[in-house]
Amino acid sequence: MKRLLSFCLALVLVLSLAGCSSGGSGSTASQGVQDTQADKGLEVMGDNVTYDPNHLVNNGDPISIDWWVWASEDMFRAIADAYEEIHPNVTINIINNPWDGFFTKLPLALQRGEDGPTLFNVHNSYENLILNYMEPYDIDTDELIADYPSASTHLMDGNIYYADYGLSTGMYYYNKELWAEAGLTDDDIPKTWDEFIEVAQKLTKFDENGNMIQAGYNYNNYFNSTVIGLNYQFGDNLFSADGKESLVNSDGMKDAVSFLVDLYEKYHVGDKDFGTNYDQSFYQGQSAIVFAWGFFVGNLAQNAPDIDYGTFEIPTQDGDTPYAYYRYNGESTPGINKNANDAQKEVAQDFMRFFFASDDVQIRLSQEGGLVPAKTSLMDAPELKDTPIVRTVGPHIDRYIWPGAMPSTVENNMKIAGEDILYNGKSIDDALKTAADTIDIDLANSDFTSSESLYAYYEE
Amino acid sequence: MKHKTLKTALYIVLALLGVVTVFPFVWMVLSSFKTNNEIQSIVQTLIPQEAIVDNYLNLQQTFDFLRYFLNSIFIAVAVTVIVIYTSCLCGYVLGKYQFKGKNIIFGFVMMTMMVPWSVTIIPRYTMFMEAGLQDTYISLILPVMVSGFGIFMMKQNMESIPDELIEAARMDGSNEFQTFHKLVLPLCKNGISAIAIFQFLWVWEDYLWPYLMIDSEKKQLLAVGLTLFNGRYSTDYGGLFAATTISILPVIIVYVIFQKRFVAGVAAGAVKG
Repeated sequence: MKRLLSFCLALVLVLSLAGCSSGGSGSTASQGVQDTQADKGLEVMGDNVTYDPNHLVNNGDPISIDWWVWASEDMFRAIADAYEEIHPNVTINIINNPWDGFFTKLPLALQRGEDGPTLFNVHNSYENLILNYMEPYDIDTDELIADYPSASTHLMDGNIYYADYGLSTGMYYYNKELWAEAGLTDDDIPKTWDEFIEVAQKLTKFDENGNMIQAGYNYNNYFNSTVIGLNYQFGDNLFSADGKESLVNSDGMKDAVSFLVDLYEKYHVGDKDFGTNYDQSFYQGQSAIVFAWGFFVGNLAQNAPDIDYGTFEIPTQDGDTPYAYYRYNGESTPGINKNANDAQKEVAQDFMRFFFASDDVQIRLSQEGGLVPAKTSLMDAPELKDTPIVRTVGPHIDRYIWPGAMPSTVENNMKIAGEDILYNGKSIDDALKTAADTIDIDLANSDFTSSESLYAYYEE
Repeated sequence: MKHKTLKTALYIVLALLGVVTVFPFVWMVLSSFKTNNEIQSIVQTLIPQEAIVDNYLNLQQTFDFLRYFLNSIFIAVAVTVIVIYTSCLCGYVLGKYQFKGKNIIFGFVMMTMMVPWSVTIIPRYTMFMEAGLQDTYISLILPVMVSGFGIFMMKQNMESIPDELIEAARMDGSNEFQTFHKLVLPLCKNGISAIAIFQFLWVWEDYLWPYLMIDSEKKQLLAVGLTLFNGRYSTDYGGLFAATTISILPVIIVYVIFQKRFVAGVAAGAVKG
């Protein structure tokens, strides 16, 4: 015991010298070199938002900034590398954080001035938490909106603090093997809900005792995410005209919920007790169709790489263009810390102009993120036009609504409503009324205002 | 006969409890050799259908596993050693010295155990930020150098040491420093073992404070690194299980080293001598 303690004590003393002495992450400490060449003979990038690389940043003096991300470290590293290649005096440290707790730590870190991150990734659902620490982009908002139309929904008092670099939404994923087994072809891809019910029924299998052995469609554990947005097709927005109250108790939402319930209880294309997680059931080839957002492409690659799947757009009532197909959400561009020092902010502003203007950057972001590019001129880019989401929803992305940075209360209470309806025998009216009451209390206590009114076809 | 039957029944119950306790751990270890698809399969098997080692081979790709692992070892060993020493020191003073206000001081020590960590974390964060200790290991070591639990345990432990023994040492010319280090400390092996296991485990699995204080990836700890397997939309269970399997090895080693004296140490701490 004595020897062990002595050894531990010695180890601690030695390691302490090495471990405790180093300082902070050192935003301003730099590994870069002096840049003396302003004119590098590089081409100006961009359409409306342009970036001329032929200038010095921070007078060419070495500077380093931190950029906090929560995933896709390699992708953001590559973008930072591309910028550092233009400006060798700048070092961008990519700090990868876990998603869990990212927005607990970030607001605290943003208060640390130049010792905090200068750039940081944003998720729009945490907008209220971090907006006070954000510096608006030093980019003409009209030019930004001309390139990135969805940026208009992020306009606040004439400024844009963050925008979308890519858009994601829901679409249907189907198992091609099961599809073919059921005698279905590409011509059977449903355009209307009636057609959807028809193919889903063909894909549903029962054993001799009438027990389901394969679901045509499975939305278990994804009811709330599916139904929020379906209301647009059934005649109602998600929020009131002033954007302050929810309409989850509207007739449109009730019809949308009824439709989903009917798929199970009337058309028997799935069952609340069969494959209780839509995604895992799809991975196992147990459910033929599921509805999921663009992220599911990555999940399938990671969890079920052998599944041969296809995608199709959410059907409509009559096959015609609806008021809106569904809702979308954006992957947000990095924010700039307003508490950073002037030199850091100058670099960050310059970087963000590069970020928006560079097509290479935007293509990479959409390609690797499985997104529809928010920069509309890239919709036909050869690298993107055949990705599942661009191919499926790209042509109609202007017919998808962003309801705004919805507080989590909407999804949480709609989840409870869905479980009450499906599993606890509560009526649709009662469940939605309960959800609406709770959501409205929460909304009244928040600064949230829906962005639905900014939708181009809002007046239809 | 009746006694034998009862004993058999007790063993069966204990064996069942043991299986229930150990099974999730065994399942995790075996699942670390499965693909993500198999881990999430609806039809579950304990033994991997197709055993793979990719989850282990790919560990370094998610984050610098080895560095995080060594960082955690350093912090856990440093804190454990310091806490053992400060606990023994304070426990000795409170257990063996008679002075005015001793019970009040001990009462304060006990009170620190009753304040939830979540209450102190914000002011503590602000203090450390103002002191410029962000992103340093000092910020991880300093707040846990003195443990209320450790002092409590060691005070109880010290009280079981006969006063006559200490008096004899003093009469033989031992000064207080020598008495403490050469006589008292070796007599507290059981208590030290118990604190070592508890403290090492607490530091090893601590997540929020290291996450808040450490920014540099090079300094980050394993408990924080493990959460990198949880993405926004999915979790890499195979990688998580493989990393967790390796990460619990130091805890097991610490337990194996100190286990002989662990139970005796806890029991001694629980009963006033």
